[in-house]
Amino acid sequence: MDDWLKQCIKEVKAGDPEAFAQIVEAYKDKVYQIAYRMVGNAQEAQDVAQEAFIRAYTNIDRYDTNRKFSTWLFRIATNLSIDKLRKKKPDYSLDAEVSGTEGLDGYSQLAATDALPDEQVVTLEWQASIQEEINALPPKYRAAIILKYMEDLSLQEMSEILDLPVGTIKTHVHRGREALRKRLKKW
Amino acid sequence: MSCSSERIQRYFDGDLTRDERMQLYEHLRECGDCKSHYDEVKKSIALVQSASHITAPSKFTESVMDALPKRKRRSVAWKRWSRNHPMLVAASVFLVLMSSMVWVNWSGMSGDDVMVRGATGDVHVNYETNTVIIPEGETVAGDLTVRNGNVDVQGEVEGDLTVINGEQYMASAGNVAGNVEEINEILSWIWYETKSLFSGLTTGDDS
Repeated sequence: MDDWLKQCIKEVKAGDPEAFAQIVEAYKDKVYQIAYRMVGNAQEAQDVAQEAFIRAYTNIDRYDTNRKFSTWLFRIATNLSIDKLRKKKPDYSLDAEVSGTEGLDGYSQLAATDALPDEQVVTLEWQASIQEEINALPPKYRAAIILKYMEDLSLQEMSEILDLPVGTIKTHVHRGREALRKRLKKW
Repeated sequence: MSCSSERIQRYFDGDLTRDERMQLYEHLRECGDCKSHYDEVKKSIALVQSASHITAPSKFTESVMDALPKRKRRSVAWKRWSRNHPMLVAASVFLVLMSSMVWVNWSGMSGDDVMVRGATGDVHVNYETNTVIIPEGETVAGDLTVRNGNVDVQGEVEGDLTVINGEQYMASAGNVAGNVEEINEILSWIWYETKSLFSGLTTGDDS
């Protein structure tokens, strides 16, 4: 583990919340990305990512410093995302069509300003369309694809984050990849 | 070599040996179905990876910090502050203890009883007028402290005379060799207590 991180965790454990700001700053994009890709929209992603950091802060004494910090943090974020999806499930089918466009939130807001260069608008559209395809995956395959291809994690780390055997992770990656392949064929 | 979607999966897992990879490439040149399957997986992965750079909203860190449990933060801020200012903490603890002690002494003696301390000579106390009288021709050898009463000095006091919560009168024949001090307010009382504490500390005299 990096020295600065070790130091920050030590300070947070000793009761200094300011040191935690450095940790948030360092991991916010990755945690937000996991949350965003999992839940599929910006508002809930922010809630989940924020909650993940708050839980990390309040449970910092339970973090084992011999293990990788990001693995522990991503595990919290992934579990919270899956919980969020599970709670949404009842109205999932009703929202299925809408859920894809939720990803457009950021785009719609930004487009309203009319101040963006074309290539940025295209990038946002692109992001939203891919998110739509990811939203169509069942949560467990979605988690596998996000962690492997977006966060670039090893199967071993994924196994620790998702609390599943490596063999199961592999199967989830295969199925997620196949589902995406079928959906993205037309692209 | 036959078609195998499982082998394509293993390829993308990075689980094929070099020889197996070579065999796969060879097969892909001959088999259109497998080639398109391979291309599609490759494209899906590339698309997903191309979308993977999003950043947290602005002010994200601030909003997390604001949302952290408050109780813990405050006690921590106090801990941190006190760690950086040990002298101030020691001083304020001293002040709190000191003032409560003074207050107890002050309020404890604000009853009606006249108290005389340090009188070695023949001192007369009139409880009706709350007056301590040092009769003419009488000499108090050391310091004299009177609480809750007036002092009428007709004789002589060789040391200091302190009157707390009262007044002192001096007859023309009376004489006080040391200082005369009247203490009627809590603030001057505190000053008196502090002075006597420190003089007690410096002289090592605890009486």
